[in-house]
Amino acid sequence: MAVDPSKRVYQSVFELLPSVENPTPLVRLHKLVPSEKFELYAKLEWVNPFGSVKDRAAWYMLRELEEKGQLSEQRGVVEASSGNTGLSLAALARARGYRARVVVPNKVPMEKKVLLKIAGAELDVLNDALCPAPGMGDGSINMAKTHAKAQPDRYVMPNQYENEQNVRAHYETTGPEIWKQTEGRVTHFFASLGTCGTVMGVGKFLKEKNPKIKIIAVQPSEGHDVPGIRNVAQLDVAKLFDRTLVDDVMEIDHELAYRRAVDLAQSEGLLAGPSAALIFEGARRVVERTPVGVGVMIFCDNVFKYTSNMVKHLPELGEGTSV
Amino acid sequence: MAGYAHPEVLVETGWVKENLGKPGIKLVEVDVDTKAYEAGHIPGAIGFNWQTQLQDQVRRDIPTKEEMEKVLGSAGISPSDTIVVYGDNHNWFAAYAFWILKYYGHKDVRLMNGGRAKWLNEDDKKLTTEKVSVTPTTYQVTETHPELRAMLPEVLAIAGSKSSNLVDVRSPDEFTGKVIAPPGMSETAQRGGHIPGAKSVPWSSAVNTSDSTFKSVEDLRELYLKQKEVQSGKPTVAYCRIGERSSHTWFVLKYLIGLENVKNYDGSWTEYGNLVAAPIEK
Repeated sequence: MAVDPSKRVYQSVFELLPSVENPTPLVRLHKLVPSEKFELYAKLEWVNPFGSVKDRAAWYMLRELEEKGQLSEQRGVVEASSGNTGLSLAALARARGYRARVVVPNKVPMEKKVLLKIAGAELDVLNDALCPAPGMGDGSINMAKTHAKAQPDRYVMPNQYENEQNVRAHYETTGPEIWKQTEGRVTHFFASLGTCGTVMGVGKFLKEKNPKIKIIAVQPSEGHDVPGIRNVAQLDVAKLFDRTLVDDVMEIDHELAYRRAVDLAQSEGLLAGPSAALIFEGARRVVERTPVGVGVMIFCDNVFKYTSNMVKHLPELGEGTSV
Repeated sequence: MAGYAHPEVLVETGWVKENLGKPGIKLVEVDVDTKAYEAGHIPGAIGFNWQTQLQDQVRRDIPTKEEMEKVLGSAGISPSDTIVVYGDNHNWFAAYAFWILKYYGHKDVRLMNGGRAKWLNEDDKKLTTEKVSVTPTTYQVTETHPELRAMLPEVLAIAGSKSSNLVDVRSPDEFTGKVIAPPGMSETAQRGGHIPGAKSVPWSSAVNTSDSTFKSVEDLRELYLKQKEVQSGKPTVAYCRIGERSSHTWFVLKYLIGLENVKNYDGSWTEYGNLVAAPIEK
């Protein structure tokens, strides 16, 4: 039975997952945009049922494993995640009747760790602070691989960093949604780099529709702690990344992510998380030098999961919060 | 492995796979992350916990001879066995175990090139959570090799003297004193900087980060001997913060490049940087 969007009655949570027929909203920004002739839209991915853009990749990866008969009551998923993919996967897997194990680095905010447990994930927290060295590799990816390899009867690892379904999800949903929602007028697309699934999938779709559309990746400066996204120097784990699909990679001081999150909440009424705010700062700078256009920014998730991170970077937010 | 000074101490993952379960060959996993072994290890491998088994539990020291005999005996290892050590993070703590095993005179110790990460990422290699059944042995240490270890008096004597090479394997920010220890570390020092005359060569410069294997002998010689001017005719002391990362560089200098006289200063910066009136460079 097709869902009637005017009623918004769904027969299960799975019907809430995004598609061209059920897109996440685009909301235009005004006060913080330096040119009135540039229509800058935020695509609110936190409207997804599990609160982030990662619902898309998680659903595609899970469905593929289901279709291939790789999942059962005994055998679930294990994934390395900074939190959002883990949360989407765990919630979806548990709702479908499978176990889920998620490996996160210790730096992930407490809110996300607790959310993972609420969603029913078996949680592994890795100590990522033990004498870090450049090029040490990603401990959580290797730990997730270890579980999948040592206990193949219990776990299969979708591996969002290498799984083509991650790209396909965005090629088949996010990209077409944006094309339809902007009626083909989109000139700029802004996203961050993590697994690179969003940039690759949307970039490929939009470039096929109109090669002139600028695909812009926004990344935090080195040494950042913005969860879920990567500096280009950290991108060696993201096997999905194809630099040729990206017109520009902008580097933004990661401290601005936290500042801009406050600006977005207070000026636009958008309670965006730090990675969304970083993308916004990149877009804002592009609008400054390109005053006419139609831009779409991926607002990956909202700020609710990051209150402790926000206080760490903006200590004034913690002032007056206790007697 | 062509060209390494002592290629016999390094084995490849393929060799390990072919020799799994053979008598006289004992696999030992030593990880920074002490939970990694439990999560999955090479079939038949014993796990050593560096925090509880590879250091003295009372003094700040390596295990005593008796403690080491107990660790090896309870792992079912005999002095005539070939021990193959491997671990996470480019074999960092595996190299520390290698150093202790050589200090206590075990004849045949080898390191698995690429360590845990390389094995894990090769499709034909298996991991297991199965417990290894061990028949304990009575291991007797019959010789020790204090010439592999630098103690403080020797380090103070060579600080700034140019009589020996000092290799500081910590991060550049620790070397310059910008930070005393990496963020979040509980072991620290009163002062930042480095021992006078030390050359800065971060330990992980010795590995290919894509698969954790050691760089070629040509690249290693170029880095340590040419670029960093470690002089092959002089004794060499490697140090870090608590003495583990420097075991990795000790292995590289002694066995891969082939320097004659190389010591690990396991007191490292958490000893030296706490001394009153010791000379420090920043």
